[in-house]
Amino acid sequence: MSRRWFLQGRRTRAFLRNRTAVAGAVLALTFAAVALLAPAISPHDPLKQDVYNMLARPGRGHLLGTDDLGRDVLSRILYGARVSLIVGLSSVLVGTVVGTFVGLVAGYFGGSLELGVMRVVDILMSFPVLVMGLMFMAILGPGMDKLILAIGLVLSPQIARLTHGSMVALRDMEYLTAARAVGAGPWRILRRHVLPNMLGEILVMATLWTATAIRVEANLSFIGLGVSPPTPTWGNMIREGVRWLVVTPWLALFPGLAILLAVLAFNMVGDGLRDAIDPKLH
Amino acid sequence: MRRYLTFVVVGMLVASCAVGQAQVLKIAFDAADLRTLDPHYAAATMDRAVVDMVFNGLVRYKPGDITVFEPDLAESWEMSADGLVWTFYLRSGVRVHPFAGAPDGYELTSEDVVFSLTKAADANRSAYSGEYVGMEFEAAGPYAVRITLDRALPASLFLPKVADYAGGFIIPKRAYEALADRFATNPVGTGPFRFARYVPTQKVELVRHDQYFRGVPRLAGVEVWYMPDVTARLSALSTGEIDIIEGVREQAWVDVVKRIPNLAVDVFGPGETEVLHLNMTKDPISSLLVRQAIAYTIDRSEVVTAIGADVAEPLCGVVPPYLAGGLTCEEVAAVGLLYKQDLALARALLAAAGYPTGFEISANITERASYRKPFENIQAQLARVGIVLKITVVDHSSFHTLIRQDVNPLVHYEAWRPSADAFLTRFYHSDSIVVTGAKPDTNFSHSKSVDVLIEMARYELDPARQAAMWKQAQLTLLHEVASYPLYVLKFVFARSATVNYGYELKSTLALYPQINELTTK
Amino acid sequence: MIRYVVRRLLVAIPTLLAVYTVVFLFVRVAPGDPAVAALGDYASAEAVQALRERMGLNVSLWVQYGRTLLGYLRGDLGHSLITGVSIGEQVAVVLPHTLQLTFAGVLIGALLGIPIGILTAIRRNRLPDYIGRTLALVGLSIPAFYLGILLILAFAVNLRWFPVMGAGPFTEPWANLRHLALPAATLGIIMTSFVSRMTRSSLLNVLREDYVRTGRAKGLRERAVVYLHALRNALIPVVSVLGVQTAVLVGDSVMTEIVFSRPGLGRLMVQAMMQRDYIALQGLIVIYGAFVVAVNLITDLSYGFVDPRVRYE
Repeated sequence: MSRRWFLQGRRTRAFLRNRTAVAGAVLALTFAAVALLAPAISPHDPLKQDVYNMLARPGRGHLLGTDDLGRDVLSRILYGARVSLIVGLSSVLVGTVVGTFVGLVAGYFGGSLELGVMRVVDILMSFPVLVMGLMFMAILGPGMDKLILAIGLVLSPQIARLTHGSMVALRDMEYLTAARAVGAGPWRILRRHVLPNMLGEILVMATLWTATAIRVEANLSFIGLGVSPPTPTWGNMIREGVRWLVVTPWLALFPGLAILLAVLAFNMVGDGLRDAIDPKLH
Repeated sequence: MRRYLTFVVVGMLVASCAVGQAQVLKIAFDAADLRTLDPHYAAATMDRAVVDMVFNGLVRYKPGDITVFEPDLAESWEMSADGLVWTFYLRSGVRVHPFAGAPDGYELTSEDVVFSLTKAADANRSAYSGEYVGMEFEAAGPYAVRITLDRALPASLFLPKVADYAGGFIIPKRAYEALADRFATNPVGTGPFRFARYVPTQKVELVRHDQYFRGVPRLAGVEVWYMPDVTARLSALSTGEIDIIEGVREQAWVDVVKRIPNLAVDVFGPGETEVLHLNMTKDPISSLLVRQAIAYTIDRSEVVTAIGADVAEPLCGVVPPYLAGGLTCEEVAAVGLLYKQDLALARALLAAAGYPTGFEISANITERASYRKPFENIQAQLARVGIVLKITVVDHSSFHTLIRQDVNPLVHYEAWRPSADAFLTRFYHSDSIVVTGAKPDTNFSHSKSVDVLIEMARYELDPARQAAMWKQAQLTLLHEVASYPLYVLKFVFARSATVNYGYELKSTLALYPQINELTTK
Repeated sequence: MIRYVVRRLLVAIPTLLAVYTVVFLFVRVAPGDPAVAALGDYASAEAVQALRERMGLNVSLWVQYGRTLLGYLRGDLGHSLITGVSIGEQVAVVLPHTLQLTFAGVLIGALLGIPIGILTAIRRNRLPDYIGRTLALVGLSIPAFYLGILLILAFAVNLRWFPVMGAGPFTEPWANLRHLALPAATLGIIMTSFVSRMTRSSLLNVLREDYVRTGRAKGLRERAVVYLHALRNALIPVVSVLGVQTAVLVGDSVMTEIVFSRPGLGRLMVQAMMQRDYIALQGLIVIYGAFVVAVNLITDLSYGFVDPRVRYE
């Protein structure tokens, strides 16, 4: 269903007219390209250790310096784009899809279904993100797929609660009552009338959660639920870098900037998409 | 009212001048919280530190130098001719810290010492009961304690059991009974500082024990802070909010902090041994040729460089050279068991074992940097001969469980043990084999070949012959490549330059720069 | 309304029971042994076995489950397996600091975030919008521990305005606030980013609604449209976010608490999980769950204050 309104020319044009959105899309595509082409464009092997040249300053040879095992930081950031983008985006996708669905359904149908579903959400939300992540890690064991699942599941109840809140606000709007009056089924109403209305909000939230997901990855890899070494990720690079903050401040700074730019890109795209999709804008 | 206030303020000023600049020293550890302050359980650095300030042993390691024993609660001691009976003569006038039920404390006597040693020997009330098997404790008058052994032990193995370390710390009987379950977070002892307050996940406050038997401590008190972030610790040190911090045990950190004005860095021993244990029951590590190939692949000096020369001291036998019976790298080289890096030879050995292109194994490692970093370096080194080491990072608690379930072909382990006997027994005696041993412990390599030597050496009263047996056992282990010793990792602490410990710091079993009655800031 | 509150509180009881059950099972499925964690690796095997016995870990799961639950019914959260400290006492010491920090962070977030959100929405695609949005993204992208350390280096180490570490006692309000400043700023900056993004997006949505157009068409001044009509509706999702984040921060300010060496509930929970301190983790999570229930209830009730159309049945 999403494909249909994506391809509608008017909206594509609206998106393309939005310069911020286009800039964001270009930036996001650049990141995707970097992730894909990492082996070709990395100046060094990201796993190659050189203990005789550890914590080197940025400069010739190593453009962004080396880490505490003498590995090239630039190459690790380029390769790190792969894992960080996949983990960040996939986990938010998992979380948003699950969370939105649950929140909308509970909010729309109300009654005992709402009560039951929201109680499960309450139960899940009664675990702090980090503790829940730790539990998942200890039970599932490490691995990227499990990491995505864990972060996605950790985020989904929060997303569900937010969409549920918005749904409650929409529930009694006239146009929904009208749609029901003309005999539209609940799924059709949710799809045609509710979702488009909330898509802007959901997209903005999803882009916000991407930043959160990448941050959660950083926190979890610090505690051990990360992607196992030697694979570099921005999260565990920051965590390692923070250990050396007084020695080589740039170690944590560069992957931090990478996260910032990636998040910026997705946000710009998200805003543009929202403006393009929002039915009330036209 | 106003006059009253002035009076109070002036009074406080006078009081503070009277104690002559006595100050509270603050020390911060790399820990999230305390675990237990019962000295017979305390194992982690931050807990051993508090315990060290609050309690005494019968004898003590000389502050700052673990090679010398001196009197502590006992003024003197003697061993019977057959080596089976040790008698300790206690100092009189040793005052126990005040506690609920005894606001002035009381005098420590042999009754307390017997109680404490009995507790240390009881597996239900002590983590170190294994050290006291076959011993009996009795009072011989209020100031004398007699310990009877079922087999004679050399002094080098016996005195550590009654020294200020682990089970040797003396717990006052009445205080322990009065506090019961609360003792672990409200310790009462005889040391220079007494427990005052515990704020969970933040700090423990100690104040000085005015009746300490070595004299009134110069500091008014000590605060022990739990600060797991190293940059936060260093920041607090640089602003003067903290006086001593646990540092990062790596060269680059030491070098940078040394250059900061008004700060000093202490790098001291004995440190912990970092050893790679090779599981001799897991294919393909079970093949001697493969284990030799691994040994010839690893370049010890590369790992040592990765950590740093001041902090990591190369270790060539499994017992560090400054313990009786330890092996120096020269001694190992002299018998040709150094396994100096030789990649061609390693490849040839792999080919002979049937793995010409290498093989793949996977192993767990804890997230802690002091384990993970060298293991990542080993991973990169092994890749040079085609051995693919897949690493799975798990949390520290899972790691300890997993390696004890015998799932790892390679175990990187960091440990300190007080004697060659403890090192060899715990890691290489067949009783200690994980899962299947008679007393499953930390024998990750499944070594069985040195049982006899370990047992003979344990009861050998002649120090020279004893040391020779320990060395022989280690050479046997090197021969079968049960493990590959990497280095000894020393302790790193930084302090404000004005802190004066009151002794020369070379090595200490307390695992932190000991703070005692002579320390000033 | 009162009936609604009572019903929600009744619903909370099975919720908390489920929370307890989940944490009870999960933490036991995970590998790891509190006895080994407590004793360290030098302890003898007999001692570890004896401690397991004493910790009550050798009895059946049903008995362990029931014992703890009975304790909760009596108001006893039990004692830590590792330190033996009463969980209730620990929470009593730690929770005020956690709540103070959380509320300070949320307050900063609301006070700064909502105005910034309104400004960027009204001045959409103009300079204030770009600046506000960029800063919000920076705030969102920085991990809390990194931001905290930057604040420490700038304001505590270099300028010496604030202390690096610790939490001041509540008996000394001035010292207490000085200690609170930097950690609250850390959380506040992150919250401000969240709230301003949410306010902007929500307000833009509402400004396109028909009734807003009607208001404009009626000739209402733009200011009246925004503040009297649109804002009310726009704030509902913002209140949601504030509620969710309050709950989240209480458990997840761990990194901030660690960097600033403050005692905290989140730190206790993570520590308990790391050491497999089953009893402590169960008790702390139940307390946290009760807190989340309360925050959610307050959030839901506050919808009614913001938007009178929301009814509670």
